[in-house]
Amino acid sequence: MSSRRALFALTLSLLLYLLPGIAVAHKESDAYVSLRTDVRHPDELWGEWDVALRDLDFALGIDSNHDGRITWGEVRAHRGAIERYVLPALIIRGDGLVCPITPTGQLIDVHSDGAYDVIPFVARCDKEIPDRLMLTYQLFRDVDPYHRGIITVYAHGEIAGAVLGPADPTTTLDINRPDRWRQFKSFVFDGVLHIWTGPDHLLFILSLLLPSVLICRRRPFTLLDPGVWQPVEHFWPAAVELVKVISGFTVSHSVTLSLAVLGYVNLPSRLVESGIALSIIVAAFNNIYPLFKRRAWLVAFAFGFIHGLGFASGLAGLSLPPVAMAVSLGGFNVGVEIGQETAVLPLIALAFLIRGSRFYRIGVMRIGSWLIIAVAALWLVQRACDILIPGTGFLMPS
Amino acid sequence: MTLKVFVASCLAAACLSASLARADQDRPYVPASNDVVLQTVPSIADPRVRAFEALRAEQAGDPGNMALSVRLSTEYLDYGRDTGDARYLGRAAAVIAPWLMRRPPPVPVLLVHATILQSKHEFTAARAVLMNVLRRQPDNEQAWLTLATVAQVQGDYGTARKSCGYLLGGGDLLVPLVCLSSLNAVTGGATRSDRILQALWPQVRAQPVAVQSWMQGIMADTAKYLGNDAEADRHFRTALQLTPGDNFLLADYADFLLDQHRPRAALDLVKDYPSSDTSFLRQVYAESALNSPRKEADLTQMARRFAAIDQRGSRTYRREEAGFALYMQHDPRRALQLAQENWTVQRAPEDMRVLLAAAIAAQHPEAAQPVLDQLASSRFQYEVVVKLAARVREALANEQVARIAGAPTLAPSMTRQAERAVSVPSKSPAQ
Repeated sequence: MSSRRALFALTLSLLLYLLPGIAVAHKESDAYVSLRTDVRHPDELWGEWDVALRDLDFALGIDSNHDGRITWGEVRAHRGAIERYVLPALIIRGDGLVCPITPTGQLIDVHSDGAYDVIPFVARCDKEIPDRLMLTYQLFRDVDPYHRGIITVYAHGEIAGAVLGPADPTTTLDINRPDRWRQFKSFVFDGVLHIWTGPDHLLFILSLLLPSVLICRRRPFTLLDPGVWQPVEHFWPAAVELVKVISGFTVSHSVTLSLAVLGYVNLPSRLVESGIALSIIVAAFNNIYPLFKRRAWLVAFAFGFIHGLGFASGLAGLSLPPVAMAVSLGGFNVGVEIGQETAVLPLIALAFLIRGSRFYRIGVMRIGSWLIIAVAALWLVQRACDILIPGTGFLMPS
Repeated sequence: MTLKVFVASCLAAACLSASLARADQDRPYVPASNDVVLQTVPSIADPRVRAFEALRAEQAGDPGNMALSVRLSTEYLDYGRDTGDARYLGRAAAVIAPWLMRRPPPVPVLLVHATILQSKHEFTAARAVLMNVLRRQPDNEQAWLTLATVAQVQGDYGTARKSCGYLLGGGDLLVPLVCLSSLNAVTGGATRSDRILQALWPQVRAQPVAVQSWMQGIMADTAKYLGNDAEADRHFRTALQLTPGDNFLLADYADFLLDQHRPRAALDLVKDYPSSDTSFLRQVYAESALNSPRKEADLTQMARRFAAIDQRGSRTYRREEAGFALYMQHDPRRALQLAQENWTVQRAPEDMRVLLAAAIAAQHPEAAQPVLDQLASSRFQYEVVVKLAARVREALANEQVARIAGAPTLAPSMTRQAERAVSVPSKSPAQ
């Protein structure tokens, strides 16, 4: 070995030998991609892609004046170049179809190792977001094999994630598979809540059920005639009446609730709400002046259609893929039923016990029904004319 | 009592609003004006940057030139080493990536690749690459030298010694002697190493400043292991005069100053390099020892940096993270777990130290048994490590006595052990 070569070898050796001591001071290059599903636009994913300015500078030369300081002006000036370089490096596929990415702005964020260019974007898929997303991530593939894309997907309250890089660029994430049972339960809860916080539906069904423990013997002579209703002898006919009324109501309101939520029927809410108020007046009036006798279930069935449209307001804006929609609607219906039964059954049981008393026949059937009519009439006027009568706010169903 | 509750609620409210304000700040924003400086990047005012930018342009125009690719890759590595910017490891790897696809890959490319892997603390992978080179070129000095270094970090002193020995056949004595001295410094021969390195120093003076600085760094460490603190301090300062801002030296010297209970000096040393994670960690240690008002905020910031590193799945910083968990977050269980993970990767003196201290603090002295085994065979005599090892042995003996005596618990003595163990490394707040 000549001395010159030996010296070069020595220098090079020693220089490389220095490296064991390398204490890497900054973490290596990472970019952060977040994707969020949007309940209102199920075909869209909202994303944010944070790419380190120092990486962009290395790849594209953001520091135009080479002074070692990247300004916001320089970053803005390179927005187009950045988007053309960065965005094609992420391919989002849903059910095999590519969801094209469109940038929607440019921001800055500070991460633990410096400033990042933030590209907010929207990815539009051909149909609704499918159950599985396939992501292919290849940013900085040619300039840094140790670069990593840290992906976080927020879908329906669930979080999924992956770390992708040139060596491992593709992942498949299940995003649209939320726990159906949990979803169902949450809608059951919504349904119950909707009934319990909306006294108009309860008043209607209660009005129809008050006479189920009584029997109409004859036509009344006057509107104040107390001898019309006689208590039933046995529980059985009362129970049958109860079942008939509730079933009739359930069948019809389920139909219109589904039609409304799926968008097939769309009546103005003023009309629907007025119709509901009217249905209460009719049902309560029947208790004072029997019109349908034992055919209350028919009234329940008929007015059920309009109440169903009213229930739909509790699911306003719901837009989900078909299966999720079925689960939600089913859950909500079940919730509405549970809400009704739990409110009505104890009252009817009580009514059966005191059905013979003057309090029930006069106080509840007569005076109570008049009160219900008064309240419902108030609602009818307010809803039909779209006015608020002062001092009646507390009576308003939510 | 009521006052206490009131004060506690006020504090809680303050923390909450502070964290809310922080979360607010973390959201993406639009800078106020075009002139706002968002990020500093390597400037062409730096001659090294000019050099590798020119080389990069040249290489882009001549991608088939292997020597050019190796040179550019090495430039990136050197720059990454000097600045501590790990991004340059990836950039160096990208330059040689096409050459690694060749069958067989050229030897110079493999040597750079091994160094990149070594820098990423992928020692096993680096060794595999080096063995590949040595099968093809059994007298490749560079490969032996790098292998010696990797083996030493892994605690495989036999292989390290053998590799240094191979270099003696080359005729030149400087490289193999430095190789052996560096090894002897951690295997019970530090006194001799110190003498040999002093004797070699005049020869090294003719070398580039980077080599001189590195030599001074080894001399500083050797003096430190011997307990010659004044000498170590002098070597550290000489090294930093030769290569100011050298990231590795800054961390090493700052640790030394912290051990010397000189947190103010440590802070002054690293405070201008907050973007370097390793320097910033020492800043946090120093601020904690000084009880600085910035302590809490910087601690949070450091925790965020570690979280970001963990998120990408990187394991390069386990040693630092273990120390942070132990001395700053007072979470000995997590510290021990990290130190044990780190031990599977690297076994240098600092790795011994953090595993010993974490095992004591977590009251699992048996977890540090691998360190005791290594010390038994190496006869390494660095006082800090030796004292910690003695405590682990004492704790293990107590445990055994307790077991024999049938005592169900050894908690009181172990707790005292742990307290002492954690308070000795002066990275914990001055007590």
